[in-house]
Amino acid sequence: MKSLLETADLRKTYTVGKIEIEALRGVDLRIREGELVAVMGPSGCGKSTLMHVLGAMTKPTAGKVFIDGQEISGMSDSELTGIRRDKIGFVFQKFNLLPTLTARGNIEIARYIHGKGVASNGHDQHLREILQLLMIEGKMERKPSELSGGEQQRVAIARAVANKPAILLADEPTGSLDSKNSEVVLNMFRELNRRFKQTIILVTHNPELVAFTDRLIEMRDGVIVSDNDSLSWDTENELAQPARSV
Amino acid sequence: MNKQMIIAGLKARPVRTTVSILAVALEVVLILVVVGLTTGISDETGRRTEGVGADILLQPPNSSLFLALSNTTMPIALRDKVRELPGIKAVSPVQTLVNSSSGLEIIYGIEPDTFNAVSNGFIWHRGRLFNSPDEVVVDDIYAKSKGVTVGDSVELLNHKFKVSGIVEHGKGARLFVSLKTAQEMTGQNGKASMFFIKLDDPDRVETTIAEIKRLLEGYGVIPLREYARLMMSNNMPALDAFISSVVFIALCIGVLVIFLSMYTTITERTREIGILRSLGASKKFIVTLIFQESAAICGVGALIGIGSSFVIARTIMAVFPTLTVLITPDWIGKAVVFAVLSGIIGSLYPSLKAAKQDPVEALAYE
Ligand SMILES: Nc1ncnc2c1ncn2[C@@H]1O[C@H](COP(=O)(O)OP(=O)(O)OP(=O)(O)O)[C@@H](O)[C@H]1O
Ligand SMILES: [Mg+2]
Repeated sequence: MKSLLETADLRKTYTVGKIEIEALRGVDLRIREGELVAVMGPSGCGKSTLMHVLGAMTKPTAGKVFIDGQEISGMSDSELTGIRRDKIGFVFQKFNLLPTLTARGNIEIARYIHGKGVASNGHDQHLREILQLLMIEGKMERKPSELSGGEQQRVAIARAVANKPAILLADEPTGSLDSKNSEVVLNMFRELNRRFKQTIILVTHNPELVAFTDRLIEMRDGVIVSDNDSLSWDTENELAQPARSV
Repeated sequence: MNKQMIIAGLKARPVRTTVSILAVALEVVLILVVVGLTTGISDETGRRTEGVGADILLQPPNSSLFLALSNTTMPIALRDKVRELPGIKAVSPVQTLVNSSSGLEIIYGIEPDTFNAVSNGFIWHRGRLFNSPDEVVVDDIYAKSKGVTVGDSVELLNHKFKVSGIVEHGKGARLFVSLKTAQEMTGQNGKASMFFIKLDDPDRVETTIAEIKRLLEGYGVIPLREYARLMMSNNMPALDAFISSVVFIALCIGVLVIFLSMYTTITERTREIGILRSLGASKKFIVTLIFQESAAICGVGALIGIGSSFVIARTIMAVFPTLTVLITPDWIGKAVVFAVLSGIIGSLYPSLKAAKQDPVEALAYE
C-alpha cells in the first residue's frame, strides 16, 4: 500500500524571544492512502504543529516530510502553496469560512484557487455527492453567520474535499461543537473515508472518536508515544493485506 | 470569482467603502474643479482678449501674457513709431487695472476712437460711453452677475463709478473706463500697458511682427489670434505651481485614505487571508485581490468624482456668472490616472504586508 505521508525525525522549534519551544521532537510517521487516522494527546503536545507541517502550512525545523512523494522541507513559499493547493484539504476548529461569502461562494473560491474555476462535469458530480452526504445542499446560498456551527463545519469539510485532495487534515473539527453536532460531523468524516477512500487525519480530544477510526496515534511532549497501526509496512506483504471494508 | 469576493468584501463594510469612495471622488473633484476654474478663467480671459479683434498685441519688455500679473508699462508716444510702419490701420493703447477685491476683475482703460477702430466698436445693450472720469462701461455678464444697470454705482479700486452703459461681452475686459482715468488711477501718465494693433491686411501679421520686433527690441509682440493658446501654454509658472500643488494635495488625500482603508481591511481580515493561503492561494493572489479591491474603490470614486465635478462646475457658473469652469477631456483623463495612482500607492504596503503574513500565524489570529 502506498505511503501518502511520511515524516522522518520531524522537528519543529519555535523561538519566542530567547526561549526555544520544541513543539515536535522527532516524529516518525507513515500514513497510507485511504486511512482514517486520529491523533490525540494533551494540550500543547504538538498536535496542531504536526498538522500544520503535514499540511505544508509551515516548514519543519529539521527532519523530512514527504507529502505524496514530495519532500517539503527544502521548498520555497510558492512551492508549499502549490502543495496546499493541489494535495491538501484543511478543516480547522472554528472560523473556517470566509464570512463575506455564501456557503457556495466559499466552496467556489477553493475550486477557483485550485483550478482557476474550470470545473469538469465529473467534478460537479463529485461535489453534488459530497453536498448530499454532508446534507447541506439546501444551505448553499447562506452566509456563514446564517448557519449553525455544525453546518459551518460541514461546509468547511465540503470545501476541503471539493478538489479531491490527497489528504484531508482536520484539527479539532468538532472542538467548538456540542456532542450531538460532533457526532454528526465525525460520522461524515467516516463516510467520506469509506465512500471516497479519502485519506483523513483528525486531531481530537474526543475519546469516542476512537471508535470511528482505524488507527489512533497518541502524542506527548512533541513525540508519538503510541500508534495502534495494525497493518504491516513490509512492502512484500502489501498485496497480501486484506482489503479494508468499504 | 475575484469579483464576487471583492464585491462581497466591500459590501460587508459599507461605511468604510463609502467613505473611501467619497475620498477618491473628492480627490477627483478637487483636481477637476480647481484646474477647471484656473484654466476656465485663463481660457475665458484669452478668448475675450482675442475677441478685441485686433491683429497684433504689443507689450512692453518683461510683461506677462497673463495680463493681470503684469504691471509694466510703455510710453504712449511709441504709438507714432509703430504707426509709421506700412499697412497699419490703427493702434489702440490700453492701460489695464486689476480689481482684486472681489475675484479678479480686469478693467481696460481705453481711448474710445482707437479702440473702436481696432475692435469694430461695441455692441450696445443700453446706455452710452463714459464721458466723465467717474463713469464706467460694463459688459452684460458683469451687469447681470452684480445686478447693476445704467445709472447704478459700483465701487472699483476704492473709487465710486457710475455705470454709463452696458455692452455685449467679449471685447477684452468686462469693465471699461477712459484711458486717462486709468492712467491717473495707476499714476502712469502718458503710458499704457499694451497696444492693440489692427492691420489693413490681416495676412501681413507675420511680416509686421518681424518689423515691430526690429523696431522695438525686447518688446512682446504676438499675433492676437494665438493669444489664448500662447497664454495657456507658457508664461504662467505661478499658475502651474498652483495647479501642481493642488494635484499633489489631492493625490495625498487619495493615497492616505486608500492606505488607511486597505490597511484596516487587511488587519481585520488577517484570518480570511490565512484561510485563503491555507486553501493554496499564492501571495500574488492576495496582492492582486487587494489591488483589485482598491481599484474598484478608485474606479467608482473617479466616476462619482467626474459626475460631481460637472454638477459643481455648473453650480459655480450659475451662481457666479463671471467665472468659467473648464473641464477638459484631457484633465478628466489625468484625474482618473491620479485616482488610480493613489489606489496603487495606497495599497502597496498593505498588500505586501498581507501577502507576507505567515498562514499559520494568520489563522491563529482572532
Ligand atoms: N506560533 C507559535 N509560537 C511559539 N510557540 C508555539 C507556536 N505555536 C505553538 N507553540 C507551542 O508549541 C507547543 C505545541 O503547540 P500545539 O499548538 O501544536 O499544541 P496542540 O497539541 O495543538 O495543543 P491544543 O490541544 O491545545 O491545541 C506548545 O507548547 C505551544 O505553546
Ligand atoms: Mg491545537
